[in-house]
Amino acid sequence: MAYGMIQLVPLAIVAGIFILFIISGLRNRSNQSTEYGFSGSYTGRVGIGAGIASNWMSAASFLGLAGVFYLKGYFAMAYVVGWTGGYVLLLVLMATQIRRFGKFTAPDFVGFRYESESARTIAALISITISVIYCVAQFRGIALLVSWLFGIDYIPAVVVGTSLVVSHIVVSGAMGVARNQKLQYFVLIITFILPLMLLTRKLGYFWVLPQFGYGAAIGELQQQFGFNWSEPFATTSLFEWFALCFTLMFGTAGLPHVLSRFYMVPGIRDARWGVVWGLFFIALIYWSAPAYGVLARLFEARNGLALNTGGADAADMIVLSGAGLGGAPLWAVGLLAAGGMSAAFSTSTGLLMSGSASFSFDIYPRLIRKNASERDKVYAAKAFFLLLAALVMVLAFRPWGMIAEIAAFAFALAGNTIFPAFLLGIWWPRANATGVICGMLTGLAISLAPLLIGTAFPLVLQLFPLTSSAFIGAPLVMIIMILTSLMTAPPSAAIRHFVSRDVHECPEN
Amino acid sequence: MNESPSDRDVSFFKPHGTAMQGVVRVIKFILLGWLVAIVGFQFFAYFLEVSYSELLLTDLVFFNLPIQFWLSGQLLPLWFIILCVLFNIWMDRHTVQATEGSLRFRIKSVKGEDE
Repeated sequence: MAYGMIQLVPLAIVAGIFILFIISGLRNRSNQSTEYGFSGSYTGRVGIGAGIASNWMSAASFLGLAGVFYLKGYFAMAYVVGWTGGYVLLLVLMATQIRRFGKFTAPDFVGFRYESESARTIAALISITISVIYCVAQFRGIALLVSWLFGIDYIPAVVVGTSLVVSHIVVSGAMGVARNQKLQYFVLIITFILPLMLLTRKLGYFWVLPQFGYGAAIGELQQQFGFNWSEPFATTSLFEWFALCFTLMFGTAGLPHVLSRFYMVPGIRDARWGVVWGLFFIALIYWSAPAYGVLARLFEARNGLALNTGGADAADMIVLSGAGLGGAPLWAVGLLAAGGMSAAFSTSTGLLMSGSASFSFDIYPRLIRKNASERDKVYAAKAFFLLLAALVMVLAFRPWGMIAEIAAFAFALAGNTIFPAFLLGIWWPRANATGVICGMLTGLAISLAPLLIGTAFPLVLQLFPLTSSAFIGAPLVMIIMILTSLMTAPPSAAIRHFVSRDVHECPEN
Repeated sequence: MNESPSDRDVSFFKPHGTAMQGVVRVIKFILLGWLVAIVGFQFFAYFLEVSYSELLLTDLVFFNLPIQFWLSGQLLPLWFIILCVLFNIWMDRHTVQATEGSLRFRIKSVKGEDE
């Protein structure tokens, strides 16, 4: 793939897609409401599903997953299983019950359920931290795409990418552009599947369903180039696979911006069926993502190139570079760039806005300025938004892993903190404020332990890997929450009564 | 006899009332199907790899894909969708039955025929 020069055709396609979003958003703005940064128009369960899927699809799904497949082979299946299986947990254990609490954000839920302002503040701080980490993954994806599109180095590309995200939010906000999530999902799926069909057709494989067609490439790699895909656990252990997979599942069920989707849906049945449609739309992408990693290896082998000579950056761009190596037309590569950019932009926009809203509603009036007016809160939200964007930009200068790995760290933090708080909050009325505070702080410590003390204590790294700490961490946090709750005073009778009667529809005793 | 608040508490492992017991029962079935599939497929692939040889995993091709790719990459996401559909169908029926029961009770109560 050519670097160092402006890619005019792909750039035009990316710009065209964004202009399409803006025009569509301007047409829809009168029909929508915006609150906490999670707006969207809902027309039926399929529309809800498309909203869930477009909200979910980020640079990690669009660019990162194929990169992990390219580098680590079967191990990357843990991402596919983790990011889809988490929705089962979310649906059966949380989706219906969360709506009955009638709270709009994760800190709102924690504050109400545990009757504690301190717990609410900690949940808000953790939610903001999760948003920042998740945003770093998006900014890395944006920077890599900008670097290729404009032919500039990575660090300047991070700055340009940040400026573009901030400008996009400011301009969209000033013009009142609403998100058309159905259109966005439609664009994502077309830009991801169409180039894949072109590539498999060019290879003479079964191109109608390239999700199965790429299997021929695995055979060819094995027979002609001696590349073996048939030892799934040759380089990783079962524990590593399960740890990553379950961490991603717990994280999926604990990510604040995923949980918030269920508050915005009109009815409980719609919310439940929306999850099914959302999972189907998400699975369409994940059924296809491994193909890009496998095909990229095949194209490299055919061209006599060594595996991953460009490191993590090259692996994260494998969707585009693989398509280029495979001889896909430039407009098809441009479509992929537009899809990746759109996924990363929408996710970072939502996260930055929800992070700044959380600061202005949950932290600023409680910790910084007790008697803040509504106007003060709006100014605080705007200032914090810029601060968050700057912080994410600085962190994206030197990211600590590939796109999918950075996102997995955010999932681990959510799985160790928000997931246990929600799960016990919904299913065990005896869980109290002391329990959830101890639990969330322990979860935070477990998530950060590999970064802070992992080098000094290798056992910590083995038990709680940075991207996979919630496999052991989440159950541990729940045990701590239960023990601490039992050792301290129970929550008020009112909240326990609410959980039993209103959330679980239990009859009066 | 006075009942302390803790005696009245419900939980996932101590559901109370027909409605909650039914919901918890179906959740347990779904979670069992979810867990067995995830863990089972990986152990299956692992034991094939360590007990036989990689050649077997190469030869076992399903829908054009090596068996472990098909099981984890294609079937498991599909299985999750099926589990979600089954759960929703059960929940819809459960909700309708609960609503009908509630309506019957109200009608009887208005006529003064209930116990």
